Order: sequence, then structure tokens, then C-alpha cells
Amino acid sequence: MMRLSGEPAYFDLEVTVNGRPYRRTVTTHRRLLDFLREELLLTGTKESCGEGECGSCTVLMNGLAVNCCLVLAVEAQGAEIVTIEGLAQGGTLNAVQQAFMDRHAVQCGYCIPGMILAAGQLLESEPRPSRREIESALVGNICRCTGYHKIVDAVEQAAGGGA
Amino acid sequence: MNYYRPTGLTEYFQLLADLPADKVVRLAGGTDLMPAFDHYRPLPLNLVDLKGLPELAGVHDGEGIITIGALTTLAELEHHRLVQQYCPALAASAREFAGMQIRHRATLGGNIVNASPAGDTLPPLYAHDARVRITAADGERELPIAEMITGPGKTALEPGELLTAIVIPKRPGASIFYKLGLRRSMAIAVVNFAITAVVEDGRFSQLAIAAGSVAPTVAPLQRFTAALVAGASLPEAIPLVDEDIAPIADLRATAEYRYTVLKNLLEHTLAGVLAGEAHD
Repeated sequence: MMRLSGEPAYFDLEVTVNGRPYRRTVTTHRRLLDFLREELLLTGTKESCGEGECGSCTVLMNGLAVNCCLVLAVEAQGAEIVTIEGLAQGGTLNAVQQAFMDRHAVQCGYCIPGMILAAGQLLESEPRPSRREIESALVGNICRCTGYHKIVDAVEQAAGGGA
Repeated sequence: MNYYRPTGLTEYFQLLADLPADKVVRLAGGTDLMPAFDHYRPLPLNLVDLKGLPELAGVHDGEGIITIGALTTLAELEHHRLVQQYCPALAASAREFAGMQIRHRATLGGNIVNASPAGDTLPPLYAHDARVRITAADGERELPIAEMITGPGKTALEPGELLTAIVIPKRPGASIFYKLGLRRSMAIAVVNFAITAVVEDGRFSQLAIAAGSVAPTVAPLQRFTAALVAGASLPEAIPLVDEDIAPIADLRATAEYRYTVLKNLLEHTLAGVLAGEAHD
């Protein structure tokens, strides 16, 4: 049963991504981030820091926002993953996505998929957050372009408070 | 890299008996472990994922105690009614812990076993006289948190032992956590501390304070708190803090800054407790 040290080991992964079940053989040291981007070609999920500081790689795992650079693909066995590609329904953006467009909350865009998923998570538990609560919920998502004001404006709009 | 996910403690200890001890790495939330990995080549190790162990999950109410499973995430600590009720300082430390993405994964057991001098959940555990439950193939033992953590990154865990739960006695009084970082969020503490206190007739009848980032391990401020309980005033007692801590200079702050800021914050916070100000 044991393999030689340092040899790649493989795992038969079953995971649901954006509502669709996948069955793939992955190496045990593969990150969920790389699995999503390189095997499923879901490149909306971004890598910036790769060490859990910036939130660019935020996805929902069983309904909870996580940094998928800190999760091994094998840890997602049986899990339901939602990426930025899974938010629009039938070509219609969800409220948070639309609000980011309307409020010009996007500059280079690299942090935005994670920002939108984290903001959506906040609105699920707190449908009418204050600006302070929005800022607090997004502390794990770093943006180096916008200065955050328009991002907070967009989340307020999505919540129905700033339209 | 071999990956194992045992589904119970019996299976876990059987598995560990079969693996070479020096090549086993235990995985809980992974938020500290994963950045240390090289993700582009397989590592010569056996990764044992603890998240399938039901014995390490959940927060339980008991007689005079609450028991927190080692796998309890920071997000669960933040929101759990029993933690909010019986260990508000721990719930507060969880609330200020990194961002939601980390809190959804990082575990209390992982924060303890990492034994960082700056670990945010540790001062609340010291101030509440928490004990850790350690399980081995042939039995279990309990240790006070202060004996569990023996140095920076070092614990009293013996090979073959696993931290399974944290036991917190229920007690009355205030329970406060304070963290000072270089920015409000996502920052390692320059100093952090937790206080448990009972005030009677304008003085402390019970007081425990533990401070982090001011010594190689979390420092219980025993001389300082003993003087206050014995009836010293805050201004009289505050210089004793210097004898209870041994901070160093690092890239976040100088030692002198830590001495000064800790005393200032303690004086301010304790004056508020004596005045009956509400804290969480």
C-alpha cells in the first residue's frame, strides 16, 4: 500500500463544480486552485499571493468562502465547489456581479472574482450590511487598484441599499 | 506524497502504527501548512488528513465545562453560542482572526499545535485556564494549556499523541480579548492579550491576564495580577508588567514599544473593567 517517498501518488477525485459532477484522477499534491484552472480550465479563479493572504483564489466550498490555494484537490473529495463561472444564471449576471459593473468597481480585475464571491457570502448571512460590515467581510480580499470605495459601493448596491 | 483520511480514531492510530513516524504530517485546516509546501513536486511524506475524525469535531456542553473539538474552525468559534457565552474572549479572538476565507478553514487545534508566540487564540485559553485533551492509542491525558506549549513552535505532544479537544471551565466575570496589529486586519499581533476578571466592591477578586507576542510563549502576567488582587491600585501595579514579560524586537515592533504599549493598553482596559464598562 505504501509508495516510495517522493513518488507522485494519485487519487480518484469526485467533486461537483458549479453544479456539474466531475470524476478525475489527480496527484495528491495538486492544489484545488490548480485543479480548477488547469484541469477544468475554469480560469476565472485567480492566483495572486498563493499563501492565503489576498483572497484572489476565493471559491465557495460546501457553501463557505475559502482560499483554494490553501486546499488540496483531494480535500475537495465529495465537496460542492462554486467558482465565479457558476454565478451567472442563463447568461444573466447575479446581483453582485451586475453591481460591480454598474459601479465601475473593477480596474485590473484580478481580485474581482474573489471579491464577488466573498461579498456574496456576506449578503447571504447579512442581506443589509453597513459599510463597516462590508469592509470587515472583505478584509481577506486585497485590491491594489481601486482603493475599495467603489467595491463597497457595489456591494451596497447589490444589497439594495445604494442603487 | 501519500494522502490518508482516516474516519475514526481507531483507524487513525492503526494507520500511524503502520507509517514511519518521521514522514507523517498531520493536516487540519492547512492554512499554515499549505504555504510551506512546494506544490510542483510530490513530497516524501505521508499526509494524514484529520478532518474525517468525528471525535475531534463539535463544541459540547458539560457539567462546569465546555469541550471544544480540536477541529473546530475559527468561524465556528466566532459564532458558537457556547463559546460566546462561556469564553467571550475566545470568540472575540476568532472574530479578529485573518479573513473569512481563513476562518472557514483554520482550526483551534491547529492554532495551538503551531504554538506561535503571537497565536491569537492562545491568550484567551490561558486566561480561562483551559486544558487540552491529548489522546494516544493507549489512553488519554489532560494538560493545562500553559504546559502544552513549551516554546515557539514547540508543544508537549509526544510522538503518537494527538490533540483532540480543548476543555474550558465555566466561570463568571468579564472575558476580554484585545489585539494590536500594524493594521486592523490580516495582521500578526504586535501584542495581544486576554483578561478574565471578577470585580467586587471596586476591586478585582479574581483576575487572570495572558499576553502574546511579548515572550517566547504566551506570558501569564502573574506578578501584576497578584498585586492587583492583593489590593494594589492600577498605577501602583502596572510597573510589575515589566517583570512578567520578555519581549524582543522584530520587524513589527521594538521591545521597548511592546513594553510601553502593553502597559498602556492594560491600564486603559482594566480601568474600564473596574468602572463596569461592558466588553465582549
